[in-house]
Amino acid sequence: MQFQSTKRSRFLRACLIAVVAAGAAQAQAKLDTTTFVVLGEGLAAGMANYGLNSTFQTRNFPAVMATQMNTAFPQPLIQPPGIGDVIGYPQREVITPTLPQGTVRVFPEQPNPNDNAPPVFVLNLSVPGHKLVDAINLRPVAPIVQKDMKQTVVNMILGFPQLFFQRTVPLWSQTEYAKAMFPTMALVELGYYEALEAAVAGDPTKIPDPVAWGQSYAQVVQSLRQLQAQVIVTTIPNPIETAYFANPRVAASIVATAPFILTAGYQLTQNDYITRKGMEVIATQFWNRTIGPLPAGSILRANVAADITNRVNALNAQIVNAAKANGAVVYDLNAFLHKIYVTGVTVGTRSINADYFGGFYSLDAVYPGPTGHALIANDILAFLNQTYKTSFSLVDAKTVAAGDPVFAYQKPGNGRYSGQQLRVTDGPADLLLEAEAAAAQEAAAEAAAESAADAPVDTSAEANLDEPAVDAAADAAPNPTEYTVTDSGTAAE
Amino acid sequence: MGVRLSWRRRGALLLGMMGASALSCFGSAFSINELGVRASGMGTAFTAVADDGSALFYNPAGIAFQPGKHLQMDSLVVVGLFRFTPSATPVGQVVPANGYSQSIKPHFIPVASMYATAEINKKFTFGFGMFTPFGLSANSTNFHDDDPNLTKFVGRFAGTRARLEEFWFQPTLAYKITDNMSVAVGPAFVHTHLFIEQSFLNPLDDGLTFGRQAANTIFPGVPKEQAAQVIARLLPEGRSRIAGTANTVGFSAGFLYKSPKYKTNIGINYRSAVTNHLSGKASFAFGKGYTLEPYVGSDFLFKAFPNQDIKGTFTTPATYAIGISNTSIANMRISFDFRMQDYKRFSSVPLNFGINEVNTKGVALPVEQRLRFDFQNSYQYAFGVERTISPTLTIRAGYLRDQSPVPDKSTGPLFPDANRNSYMFGGTAKRGTTEYSFFYEAMNFVNRNTNVAENNKVFTNGLYDNFAHLAGLGLRFDMPQLPSLKKFKR
Repeated sequence: MQFQSTKRSRFLRACLIAVVAAGAAQAQAKLDTTTFVVLGEGLAAGMANYGLNSTFQTRNFPAVMATQMNTAFPQPLIQPPGIGDVIGYPQREVITPTLPQGTVRVFPEQPNPNDNAPPVFVLNLSVPGHKLVDAINLRPVAPIVQKDMKQTVVNMILGFPQLFFQRTVPLWSQTEYAKAMFPTMALVELGYYEALEAAVAGDPTKIPDPVAWGQSYAQVVQSLRQLQAQVIVTTIPNPIETAYFANPRVAASIVATAPFILTAGYQLTQNDYITRKGMEVIATQFWNRTIGPLPAGSILRANVAADITNRVNALNAQIVNAAKANGAVVYDLNAFLHKIYVTGVTVGTRSINADYFGGFYSLDAVYPGPTGHALIANDILAFLNQTYKTSFSLVDAKTVAAGDPVFAYQKPGNGRYSGQQLRVTDGPADLLLEAEAAAAQEAAAEAAAESAADAPVDTSAEANLDEPAVDAAADAAPNPTEYTVTDSGTAAE
Repeated sequence: MGVRLSWRRRGALLLGMMGASALSCFGSAFSINELGVRASGMGTAFTAVADDGSALFYNPAGIAFQPGKHLQMDSLVVVGLFRFTPSATPVGQVVPANGYSQSIKPHFIPVASMYATAEINKKFTFGFGMFTPFGLSANSTNFHDDDPNLTKFVGRFAGTRARLEEFWFQPTLAYKITDNMSVAVGPAFVHTHLFIEQSFLNPLDDGLTFGRQAANTIFPGVPKEQAAQVIARLLPEGRSRIAGTANTVGFSAGFLYKSPKYKTNIGINYRSAVTNHLSGKASFAFGKGYTLEPYVGSDFLFKAFPNQDIKGTFTTPATYAIGISNTSIANMRISFDFRMQDYKRFSSVPLNFGINEVNTKGVALPVEQRLRFDFQNSYQYAFGVERTISPTLTIRAGYLRDQSPVPDKSTGPLFPDANRNSYMFGGTAKRGTTEYSFFYEAMNFVNRNTNVAENNKVFTNGLYDNFAHLAGLGLRFDMPQLPSLKKFKR
């Protein structure tokens, strides 16, 4: 993978890390975990694969944290197959409940099944698709099932069972709900969806103006701090570093071909990105032994990716400022996921990384699977231990991985599709053959040079596909913090 | 020749002083030792002295040696400087830079006593005293109810205000057994008023009780204790006020022996314990707009904690005192007292609610709630000297060591007590038949640092750094023209 960073983005990132580190060093407050609320979007909600459902919700990173902190953490668990739109796919028609759902929300079992009921309140208030403005303003609205999926998801999470009460009870937005719970500890994971939406659309202007956004963010933090809650805010992960975006080299390992096939066949540079959507289309084309035009949203050009990265960094700077101004602490989630992106992490005997099918991200390519959540939880717990002098034990990531289907995902790897097997439908017929010959010449030249230096080398183009997904270009990307993640999942900065 | 006040002017002066007597104070726990200005000037070592009207308090047998008729009015002013710095607070608690002041408002607390004695004949002397051997006034209410909780006094769940006044109206008859020995006994009508205010529905304590009961309803599937802790924070803070009065009887007895040969007096005093059967009111108030209010209804808590009449029992300890004084050295009187108060009697204050969880559905109040204090017995060592400078001027000094009966676990906003070392001085000037006395006392409380595990949830552990200034003025004069006594003498 190649991280396309500008000098400006590097500078912003460096500043961000410096401020975060300083803030962490200054924070000496006590941490009371009695009432732990989480405000966020799909990441903190436990969105994975194709919706929000209890299978993954119970293993999201806030839930792991709560378990390790030994505190209550009722969640709005959704019966499989779940609810919510998956980013990058068309919006779905709201059919709720759908088979095999019953109550949609999971009711904890009671000794007498007739007593089964949902929790009156939940503490994980994260709503997939929630932006900051939604967290402040979007409240549940009756009836519980709406035509709009987003409102339906809000209703199911923030308005269930309130929308069914005969007694008039308040219907809160996410922020209002959090305040009503009088949290002692609040974790704010907001802003990611704004970044995701812009990146998936390939439109950096969809990322909100940082100053105005920062002011609203500060209001959220301030309102929680006024309740004397300890507030932990997380920086926004860079969506370009998720599995949704793959450079030609990584994408080639996913669609089982050689990088030059993609660059030549789809007119890409090494610094452009193929999206999850693009890889799906390419895979389908390869299945049909063709290379053809890609639909919109399949390619993200390098300059657009850089612009998005810069804008995300600008929002993160606002998060740091808001935290600093209001006495909150900043956990640099972006830095942690950057580390996953750059070097990957070894869990047990397997190295997982941020590639599609890399073992960290689920099939939606932007939200982690259970092992990824466990690693995030461990990193936050380690951060809390350092910041608040607590001693929360970390979860064993290897054990989590053993039951994690996402962890078991494997890339196809070898170059199943060569230039000779594929036919370009919208270009010169010998385009791929020429590219293949050029690549072979280039490989032979490299082999000769290495042979002259008596260095053993594999000269086959296909062999390159077997290389680890972590590439040299990514290694060169800014790497502000160093993490060591052990087999047991312990992580330390 | 002194200035002689007319009887009318003396009466007006006395009434004025009585009017100023709010009768409240800080005492050893709630004892008040300084009920005579002369006695206080010599460290309250007065059991074997007992030669003025305050003998009715310190040793009633002393009035047998007071010929004629006397009226005495002693007033005391207390300025308590009480400060508490908690060692632990809830997360985010705002604590004043120098800790919490627990001083009452207004700062000056007046305490008044009145004593009258009349010699009936050579053997019998009658006396009547009005005094307050027990009193308490504590105020840690530094907040309004609607203030943010974390800015309020941190120990408010252990108490915010307390007020106790136990008035003794004590007629006393003293009998002179010999010229050097007397005894006295005085039955007393005792009127007591008690007021206690505290916050409740503490998220770490009684709020948890509600939380546990509601845990499975509000957070099914969540471990009960964890759920209870969250629910407890969704309740409002409550304030309870309990006020009651009691009328009962007590009595005092004394013995005094004077040895002319050794110029030594020995005195013994006993004042009975009093069990006050209180009748009063309990009232409860709650903050509004709490999270659970729309779910349980705005009247839920008021139904659970209904205002009502209550009964209770409050016991004040007995006092045992023995003293010795000597006048053989350099025109001086030296005296020493040892006193014990059996504060062990004050182990708890049971409060009985007529409307309770047993007889009324939805009520959360128990049949009996016991405020447990578990005091220890208290010991006091008083030492004083008095020197006559001239026939009209006497000066005094004294020291009092007061061992607090309050155990660490009960040290808090209601009883911010500690062992005390008091240093006193005073004097008396005589003009004609009138004596004017004063005293000053610097009461230094030994700094007390408490660390009791069970108090962690009410945040009363910490440093108690207290000091009190006490000062008093007294008037004592003859009553030669009291008509009723003249008739009685005939």
